[in-house]
Amino acid sequence: MLHPQRSLSELPKMSAASQVERAVLEEEFNWLLKEEVHAVLKQLQEILKEASRRFSMPTPGLESQQKQENFILGSSTMDQVKGVLTLQGEALTQADINLKVAKSSQVLHFQFREDKQWKLQQIQDARNHVNQALLLLSSRDDTYQFKTGAEVNKLMDAVMLQLTRARNRLTTPASLTLPELATSGLMKMFTPPMPGDVMVNFYINLSKLCLTVYQLHVLPPNTTKNFKPTGSSVLHNPGAMFELNNNRFEVSHVHKVECVVPWLSDTLVFFTISLQLCQQLKDKISVFSSFWNYRPF
Amino acid sequence: MSGNNLVLPIVLWGRTAPTHCISSLLVMDDFTTIITGCHDGQICLWDMTPELQICPRAMLFGHTASITCLSKASASSDKQYIVSASESGEMCLWDVNDGRCIEFTKLACAHTGIQFYLFTIGTQKEGRLLCNGHYPEILVVDATSLEVLYSLVSKISPDWISSMSIIRSHRTQEDTVVAVSVTGILKVWMITAEVSKMQDLDPIFEEESKPIYCQGCQSISFCSFTQSSLLVVCSKYWRVVFDAGDYSLLCSVPSDSDQSWTGGEFISADKVIIWTEDGCSYIYKLPASCQSASEHFRSDVGRTKEGSIPPLIYSIAERSDKQLLICPPVTRFFFGRREPFHKLLIQGDSAGRLSLWSVPDATPPQPTTTPTELQMSSTISLQEAFDKLTPVSSGIIDQLSVLPNKQLPIKVTASVYIPSQGRLVCGREDGSIVLVPATQTAIVQLLQGEHMLRRGWPPHRTLRGHRNKVTCVLYPYQVSPRYDQRSLVSGGVDFSVIVWDIFTGEMKHIFCVHGGEISQLIVPPENCSTRVQHCVCSVASDHSVGLLSLRERKCIMLASRHLFPIQVIKWRPADDYLVVGCSDGSVYVWQMDTGALDRCVMGITAVEILNACDELAPATVDALSHSAVNLKQAMTRRSLAALKNMAQHKLQTLATNLLAADNADKGNLPKYSHNALVVQAMKTNLTDPDMHVLFFDVEALIIQLLTEEAQRPNPTLVSPETLQKSQAGADKGGSFLANKIFKQVKETMKETIKEHLLDEKSKSLSLLEYNLTMDTAKLFMSCLHAWGLNEQLDGICLERLGMLRPHCPISFGLISRGGHMSLMLPTFKESLLRQLSLATGLKLALSDIVGKGTYGVSRAVTTQHLLSAISLANTLMGMTNATFVGEHMKKAPARPGGTPESPRRTPAAPPQPSNPALQAQIKQGEDLTSCHH
Repeated sequence: MLHPQRSLSELPKMSAASQVERAVLEEEFNWLLKEEVHAVLKQLQEILKEASRRFSMPTPGLESQQKQENFILGSSTMDQVKGVLTLQGEALTQADINLKVAKSSQVLHFQFREDKQWKLQQIQDARNHVNQALLLLSSRDDTYQFKTGAEVNKLMDAVMLQLTRARNRLTTPASLTLPELATSGLMKMFTPPMPGDVMVNFYINLSKLCLTVYQLHVLPPNTTKNFKPTGSSVLHNPGAMFELNNNRFEVSHVHKVECVVPWLSDTLVFFTISLQLCQQLKDKISVFSSFWNYRPF
Repeated sequence: MSGNNLVLPIVLWGRTAPTHCISSLLVMDDFTTIITGCHDGQICLWDMTPELQICPRAMLFGHTASITCLSKASASSDKQYIVSASESGEMCLWDVNDGRCIEFTKLACAHTGIQFYLFTIGTQKEGRLLCNGHYPEILVVDATSLEVLYSLVSKISPDWISSMSIIRSHRTQEDTVVAVSVTGILKVWMITAEVSKMQDLDPIFEEESKPIYCQGCQSISFCSFTQSSLLVVCSKYWRVVFDAGDYSLLCSVPSDSDQSWTGGEFISADKVIIWTEDGCSYIYKLPASCQSASEHFRSDVGRTKEGSIPPLIYSIAERSDKQLLICPPVTRFFFGRREPFHKLLIQGDSAGRLSLWSVPDATPPQPTTTPTELQMSSTISLQEAFDKLTPVSSGIIDQLSVLPNKQLPIKVTASVYIPSQGRLVCGREDGSIVLVPATQTAIVQLLQGEHMLRRGWPPHRTLRGHRNKVTCVLYPYQVSPRYDQRSLVSGGVDFSVIVWDIFTGEMKHIFCVHGGEISQLIVPPENCSTRVQHCVCSVASDHSVGLLSLRERKCIMLASRHLFPIQVIKWRPADDYLVVGCSDGSVYVWQMDTGALDRCVMGITAVEILNACDELAPATVDALSHSAVNLKQAMTRRSLAALKNMAQHKLQTLATNLLAADNADKGNLPKYSHNALVVQAMKTNLTDPDMHVLFFDVEALIIQLLTEEAQRPNPTLVSPETLQKSQAGADKGGSFLANKIFKQVKETMKETIKEHLLDEKSKSLSLLEYNLTMDTAKLFMSCLHAWGLNEQLDGICLERLGMLRPHCPISFGLISRGGHMSLMLPTFKESLLRQLSLATGLKLALSDIVGKGTYGVSRAVTTQHLLSAISLANTLMGMTNATFVGEHMKKAPARPGGTPESPRRTPAAPPQPSNPALQAQIKQGEDLTSCHH
């Protein structure tokens, strides 16, 4: 694609003015490959290292040394659900959930069993994608001489793919069907055991740690109501129905509480900035592409 | 497309080989085929001789993203299956022999490694694929259905698996999976016979989990020679680890400061080969402490000296012309377990080049301080293979594009086929646009004949206006009849969009609204506001979208300042919204009328908005980024167009009935679309020139032939008997032709006749009168005929039937499930030639195998071809004018000696001798089929 080596003598048809212009452009393009690309790569590396540091890679055997953070999840408008979650790296190590049941004004209290912790796969995936992007960047240090624009584009594409994935993992939580949620290991994590008519889900949405509590009621088998199982979704609405072990359930109440995780919002900003840097570099290269691809006819 | 519709593709590759930036490699067990996957999602099959000569054979299309890994998927040698996985989570099972896609599936996450494993359940053997990737488990997938059966899960610090290896131990009857996670923890799972019986989806937990303190593990491999050690390659060092039980470190070697290791393998009990990211490889002799046969084995455990580097025996340097590469090459080592016991190091790079090194067993005689340089055994790139061809691989309009003093023809950079006129519109890199009859230009490229002597044939029209490369062309009338039949729209790298009158060649208007190269032109959906309905939507590389009104000749909206390239355009006509999806996942919602930005969102909301557009109007889905690359979409679009045509068709019947009562409005009736031939331009990479695939729909062709036959003015021929007869003939040939064809023929016939009566004048719009159907049939039959099997028959075909002999074996294709397609590369004939020469013991010239081309290749292709040839021949037999000669002569007034035959021959004369001939051919065909089975 972009071969800076194409000599000017190849283009005899050019007028003198455009030959001068080409020479200037050629010099500019060489500057771009030699100086600017490395400057951008260095900047990118610094930003991503900063992002990666936020994720704090666990070292084998030393998991317990990772910092523990407590988050209080609640909302100002309703007080039915309150949760205190402890996040250690990518795992929730402790959880305390208080649920006020509307009918009986009785407060239910659950917490994680001692031996259990819940890994937030979204955080682990994001961390791994960032590290892969860093690995790609580190293979092209200052000493490496880029020869073509295509080469830079290829590298940027690979880096951007990892960064987009990293960001998407945080911005788009997995959507689950209600039976999937009911059978997931999460329901077995609590002491006292979760009653059959309550379901919980944890996920990351953007920079927020979210807790959703679904209260269910069993639909009588010969109900006149139209039974229609709902598909997968991140957040189900009241009225959603599903079937599990020959019982039909309907969601009666949904409580969603959340809390901002400051370091996650930092990483999201870092991802966005680095993606923009990558794209700007690609745009700069593409300015020259039409110039290098030009063939007089 | 799917189902029983018989569609045969024929490819015109052109002189430039498709971009093939190799991302993964595989050699089949019998060492006759190499398979490479590329960053654009195609898979290339290469034939390899025992002398290690390689030749590309076919290219497989279907993946929409970069191929991440390839693996064999069958154990037996009679059926050779491979599985491929892509960055977007697709998995595909292919037959290596004919390139058929057998099964495909898509998961949410991408695999980065797949290993084939044969489970033994009693006497029954079942293939399994173990997959690792961007998820913390190892998925066990059925090798025939591609269904996930269960998963291998970690209890202790689960994380992505970066590499795994299956260990088959003869000592214990248990097979184990050893894997290393990205955090450097070695994990072991037992996969025994009991496990395979388990049908529920319970996960299997690991038996062992041990940190080995290696960050950035690139690969692990098990020594199949000693069955006791494991090679772990990380970017900065490689290690040999003793397997049985304790995984103790035996040897560790760091890399040079500026290199990073990317993989390695045992080549014998005491030697390893390790390769680097930039394509160098090194063969080391392991120290005595690493060899289980030696008395010093394990003598160093626990006190590994970091600095001691084992003796380097061979080195393989990087290529000198490496500067042309745009990303690191892929290196793999394979060894044959059968004759001739090859030990091959294979490297594939971004220029589509494969290089082979045969690794010797012996160590060089005298131990020297500098390692011996290992010489390359053979190397070839896709482009080199194309360049070697004589005659060169032809492009669709090469004869019109060769410049007097230039070597290469001007490249076609964008094209669109207008089926209703049978014309192909080709935008070229010099800014000109050529309009040419598709069948005639294809005949020139594929077949020998008198047309070779004529200059400037076929008649064409050139539109000049763009100042540089044309990047996209659109014929809006084809998508919706609300547009003017005359308008053709083209966009170029000169930032302009030009509207042309296709019939006069006049430039109607130039839009200069974008600040970047035009990358795509789209037609808005049906239910937009009237103003928008007469617009085309243009997308440019400056990340802007414009709505250009063809009627008002002005840009009515320009949506710019998107930060990232535009990936998808969707519509919400009811709300007057244009929805722009960018490559970073952000979504911009624009109001079409006011040009105001309504919203800009990310994350779940963005996904939801895009999905909501699909629900409203599924037909308007139009992904942009790789539209030219993405075949699957092209196919869907094609079938959508076909669907629309069908719908139109029904409407037309209605309309005709209405018109019979009130025939005032004449011009509104579009002619029955010609779908027997569709020309689809494809690119594997955005920077490539177009290559063209001609899709012949056998069923549609037969229907059209019968329709035209029935339309002939001779009244006796329109009798149902003739139809019945020809129908019977067709039925004999292929059982897939059901009664519905007959019905359809009748229907179309009625319609066309009515139409004919209604608008006689509309026909004279095209450049030149010629019979499209007969031309298509002629091209198709000439390509299908098994030339060279029977000389007498060939003579009859040439002289009586007017068929033409191809220049060289034709590159056919095979369409399989879900829009997956395999296309033969023009170089396939080289390896075929070699194969046939070997079989017959004769030295064959290329011309000798012209017709045998298709029959040597694969069973599925052969069956399809014979079916089509037989049914088509039968149809033609039933026709009055079952020869292409007459048709051909009509257009040859300059022929020396003039034409003695009258254009319309007496119906009886030519078919009589041709019938036995065709029958003979059919017989032969049937003979061949039986031979093949």
